[in-house]
Amino acid sequence: MPRLPTSLLIKAWEENPLLPRLLRECRTLVSARNELRWLRERAQRETPSREWRTRLRAMCRQRSRGVPLQYIIGDQPFGDLEILCERGVLIPRSDTESFTNEAAKTIQGMAKSRNEHSNSKSLRILDLCTGTGCIALLLHQLLSPNFNLKIFGVDISPIALNLAQRNLAHNLEQGYLSEAASTQVQFLRADVLSQGTSELPTVEEILPQLYEHEPKSHEPGSGIETESQLDLLISNPPYISNKDFWNGTTSRSVRRFEPRLALVPPQSTLPDGCNAEDIFYHHILRLSLKYLARVTVLECGDITQARQVVKMHDSMTKSLAQSGEEAKFDVRIWPKTEQECDENGFHLYDGARCVIIRRM
Amino acid sequence: MRLPSALPWSRAINALSKSWGLPLILLIPCQTFTTTPALPAKPFPPRMKFDEADLTISYLKGTGPGGQKINKTNSAVQITHKPTGVVVKCQATRSQSQNAKMARALLADKVEELEKGDQSRTALKLAAARKKKASKLKKTRRKYRNLEKDAPEQENAEGLEELDGGQKVGTDAASKDDGAISTEGNTDHKGSSS
Repeated sequence: MPRLPTSLLIKAWEENPLLPRLLRECRTLVSARNELRWLRERAQRETPSREWRTRLRAMCRQRSRGVPLQYIIGDQPFGDLEILCERGVLIPRSDTESFTNEAAKTIQGMAKSRNEHSNSKSLRILDLCTGTGCIALLLHQLLSPNFNLKIFGVDISPIALNLAQRNLAHNLEQGYLSEAASTQVQFLRADVLSQGTSELPTVEEILPQLYEHEPKSHEPGSGIETESQLDLLISNPPYISNKDFWNGTTSRSVRRFEPRLALVPPQSTLPDGCNAEDIFYHHILRLSLKYLARVTVLECGDITQARQVVKMHDSMTKSLAQSGEEAKFDVRIWPKTEQECDENGFHLYDGARCVIIRRM
Repeated sequence: MRLPSALPWSRAINALSKSWGLPLILLIPCQTFTTTPALPAKPFPPRMKFDEADLTISYLKGTGPGGQKINKTNSAVQITHKPTGVVVKCQATRSQSQNAKMARALLADKVEELEKGDQSRTALKLAAARKKKASKLKKTRRKYRNLEKDAPEQENAEGLEELDGGQKVGTDAASKDDGAISTEGNTDHKGSSS
């Protein structure tokens, strides 16, 4: 990290003595000013008349130690929602927000082309590694005007599930989510990587609950499936390699204060040709093929990883085709064009990407 | 018709309305008010709407990688209006969607100002505010002028004496008046310029 020039520090101090503290993490004066404004607004709102200055100073001290702004303030906007954040659960990123929007757009586009009516059948959505529940909740907000929904958010961490549940309640209370969300969104504990050997249930074991309120013909396991059982399978799983976690690619603040569980996949037995950081994709793609998911959206760390996921998907479908199951897929990496990157604030070569797989 | 004196008012009025066949409301004596009706404020023209194709919206999340590896707090939104080339940037809140909304409103104001000049929404708003302030100032001026008129003559006289002592000019009274007028003139000037 380049050293901050003394002239900048002096300039910042003259403007406001608290700014140099924030500069340690923000690195630019513009963003330090923004953060100071947001912290001040929060301190004034939370603390009674005179003590807010003390509170603000404490907040700036925390920030200078590298504590993420969202953990200090306690929430993060995500689309039109307000997602509560606390230690032990990954903070929602704006990239994920863009991917969720794109996923909702894909679903809406497909429904329009098929001329489906909203009341025909409920849309089944599974969000794996949900964390704060941000993706599941935002999808409900985006899709509930047009569809009857059934959304499951799954996570292994009890802290995350607790927070997700509170986020659902919080956004209902604030009126950001429609009343229907209280029954249509559910959070459940399961282990995506589990093969049935650990104490926790696997995703396969909890999935039947998604079909509880529907006619029996849709129940999984009843003969040969011809209809898809999932309309959208979406996930932002841990995808940072052990090497990238330590070599400076992952920022210090993230490394120190955000849960490693949500960032780096655990050590486990790897199938052939699968990198350690891609293990979640292997399991999620398997689920996607098993339940004939109509759309699968996976967040990846960068374009290389996204290409790796596409390759994994290709090899899996090829082996399925050999055993007689034919299916056509439309696989794309988003954002791809310069315009898409620019409009959504993505770096052209670096930065997160998502893989969108559509079953044709 | 004679009314029994013991009847309370309400029953009496009821009886009257029945015997005369008039609606109750006409019989109840009520005070009439004359108030000057509040003139409804003339609505400003609505903000102009854009054709989506004319706008380039970009979310500036800062350079470099993103995703889980970095936690960015930057949420600036920049909108370019292609036909006029006006660029607006907003980073007021932490929410991208909120910033986008604010940027749109700002852009609408700017583009309208460019296109319509004096007739734009912002210009009209400013003009209305200026008019209101000017009329308020006029009222205060009138009030203090009246107060001055009513004020006891003594004070004026004392003031004159002091001036006499200082300047020893025969037209002192006139010069003092000038002073008063010039301060008024100042406020007037302020009112019209701001």
